[in-house]
Amino acid sequence: MPQSIIEFRNFSFRYAGARRDALRGVNLSIQEGEVVALVGPSGCGKSTLLRSIIGLIPHMYRGEYSGSVIVDGMDVARTPVSRLATRVGYIFQNPENQLFMFTVRKDIAFGLENLALPRHEIVRRVDWAMKTLGIEGLADTPPHELSDGQKQRVAIAGVLAMKPKVLILDEPTSLLDPVTAESVITQVKELHDALGITLIIAEHRLDLLVTIASRFIVLDGGRVILDGPAREVLGRPELQLIGVNIPAAAWVDSHLRSGEELALTVDELADRLNNRI
Amino acid sequence: MQSLAYGFIYRRMNTPLQRLDPRVKLLTSTLLFTLSILADRIVEATVIIGSVLLIAGLGRVLRRLWGTLTYTAAFALFIFMINALTLWDLTSAVVFTLRFVAIVAATSLFFLTTPPDEVYNVLRWFRLPRDVVFAFATAIRFVPLFILDALQIMDAQKSRGLEIEGGSILKRLRNLIPVLVPLSVTAFLRSAEMAEAMEARAYGATARPTVMEVLTMRGEDWVMAAASTLLFVAALLTF
Amino acid sequence: MQTDSIIEFSRVSYIYPNGKRALRDVSLSIKAGEVIAVVGENGAGKTTLVKHMNGLLKPTIGTVRVFGLDTRGVSVAQLSRRVGIVFQNPHHQLFAETVEEEVSFALKNFQAGEDVIKSRVEWALEFFGLAEYRTASPFTLSEGEKKRLTIAAVMAWKPDVLVLDEPTVGQDFNYREKLQQVIRQLREQGRTVIIVSHDLEFLWPLQPRTIVMARGEILADDRADRVFTDGRLLTEAHLRRPQLLELWLRLRVKPERPFTSTGETVSWIRGLHQRGGEGG
Repeated sequence: MPQSIIEFRNFSFRYAGARRDALRGVNLSIQEGEVVALVGPSGCGKSTLLRSIIGLIPHMYRGEYSGSVIVDGMDVARTPVSRLATRVGYIFQNPENQLFMFTVRKDIAFGLENLALPRHEIVRRVDWAMKTLGIEGLADTPPHELSDGQKQRVAIAGVLAMKPKVLILDEPTSLLDPVTAESVITQVKELHDALGITLIIAEHRLDLLVTIASRFIVLDGGRVILDGPAREVLGRPELQLIGVNIPAAAWVDSHLRSGEELALTVDELADRLNNRI
Repeated sequence: MQSLAYGFIYRRMNTPLQRLDPRVKLLTSTLLFTLSILADRIVEATVIIGSVLLIAGLGRVLRRLWGTLTYTAAFALFIFMINALTLWDLTSAVVFTLRFVAIVAATSLFFLTTPPDEVYNVLRWFRLPRDVVFAFATAIRFVPLFILDALQIMDAQKSRGLEIEGGSILKRLRNLIPVLVPLSVTAFLRSAEMAEAMEARAYGATARPTVMEVLTMRGEDWVMAAASTLLFVAALLTF
Repeated sequence: MQTDSIIEFSRVSYIYPNGKRALRDVSLSIKAGEVIAVVGENGAGKTTLVKHMNGLLKPTIGTVRVFGLDTRGVSVAQLSRRVGIVFQNPHHQLFAETVEEEVSFALKNFQAGEDVIKSRVEWALEFFGLAEYRTASPFTLSEGEKKRLTIAAVMAWKPDVLVLDEPTVGQDFNYREKLQQVIRQLREQGRTVIIVSHDLEFLWPLQPRTIVMARGEILADDRADRVFTDGRLLTEAHLRRPQLLELWLRLRVKPERPFTSTGETVSWIRGLHQRGGEGG
């Protein structure tokens, strides 16, 4: 049995001074190479869960921590974030606040310099990361001249250069227009396909994830309430009650109760309906 | 709107001067700066200012330098007045004023011809502590965004009927609160997000992070460095 | 100029000091009671456009008239009484010690009477479900509640026109549904609502008049169903077609008008199968 790359064992966390737990009794096992969509209404604990993987919880956010989180064999609570950062890459929602340097090239090198890698290795990885994301042309561009989509790509390149096994994306497309959002998500999926990186993507816009995520984990009130393949999870009635944005096609099909596998996209639904007529 | 806030940032130009190693540019500016402090005659100060203007001209930043100097004109006038009144010696007052102008000009020259990332490279070359260099870089990177936030906040509050101009001093101060509070909150949230992102990219993992971009001196850099030094020595001897 | 338009743009261009043209020769006429969506990619000029509606920006060329007044001659405070803009980031707005104070801020600026302030604040808190947080600090609210608060703070003075700048960014289904309800209610009351948004799935059920912008120009200004059916327009403006419309276009057998809600879609499909019978 393959060892899981991320494991939550009865994990609970309450932020210091908070009235209730942000996460309660979470048990999860994520295998290497999975593409996981993490969804749930606002305040359900998505960000808390993600921060607990890279170690921002508990090292940066204090609170009541119980249970354990194991990432690539390391106990998160006992491992410094800088070490976890070599296994887990974290992309934040706002592209602006994760680009620190004056040029794209410098920014991608940031994490590698921090890890004190030798110079030639840094140069090699930076070039590789830029090539992989298709942004070589932006190497000397200052961040303020980049479009939002380009900024996200640069952020991804900077994290990718650290060669993580897991890539976490915390609502990466919130501030992007739909076309740019789709191209960023597609590119991230391509990274998975080419490099075998495990992906965990927290999103409100599920329509971007239905075709790429093999697994949907649904959180509500700090608990995992659903966990399974897209076609099983998205058809469940609880989902809309708790406030998840179910893509229109899936929602319609779930209410038609045709008994067949849930249609996830407009294409699938249209084909099915056209064939039935 | 972003472009407004970035208006005052270094604009990339490709003259031989800009292409010089930033350490050489720093050296030249520092030498001019030193001469400015030592100048005690009108002739000397004028020569220094003239040199700065000449170099600025070569670097195609003359207009921007002039702009900077006019901003400091008021303060220069102030210095003139103070000195003229306390020393009761017109010549000395002029010297002090010109000295001030020369200092400002020499300093500005460096920043006008050196983009922030080169300044950053120089600071790292000096092996200053990582935190210090990073703080400097972050300030330059994020100050324009801060200004942008301030403009957006003022827009939002003006749209709620807030009058930014006009009224008594007390009223004006009170009207600052709906701008200052969101500004502080926004700045705080931005720095919190940045801190997370920094941690997630292993900031602080080691005491001596690697420097990727290494500065190398080329022929023209050595020539300029030598020329600057020679002229500096010559000036010292003649002054 | 049409006399029944409340907001009118006549050949408006806006040029930044550095020469960049954010609006190019825009002409537009908005009537009372309309629900209008302004869509397009980032940098297309959507926010620049709406900032002209309360005078935050004055046109470089051309004229903007709001309720008949040329915006150049009126202050932002004056225009804001009738055109309320809710900006995208709640943290650019919230500053007060209590939620109550936050909601009453604008009314105080507009020098409304004590009684009016009291009743309007009451109404806004109730309407937006924030009454229980009345004395709490705005900063203790959740992100969704903060967004609701910023809308409540603007609705409190009951402007004739409500402009929402990207209201659904990062918000979940519950918030989006509530917001759709609010917009429908405002429409029934005869108020004008203008929504700048990327969220086409959110906009579609409202069937708004849709203005498509790109590079500072208006590429299209038409009914939602016409705009989103035009494939070339969508590509040029960097937009996606709403799922229900895409479905309608793909079906071989379909109703005359596209589906505007998921409920409607389900009903029709069920009806079809009942009518046509099962069969392969």
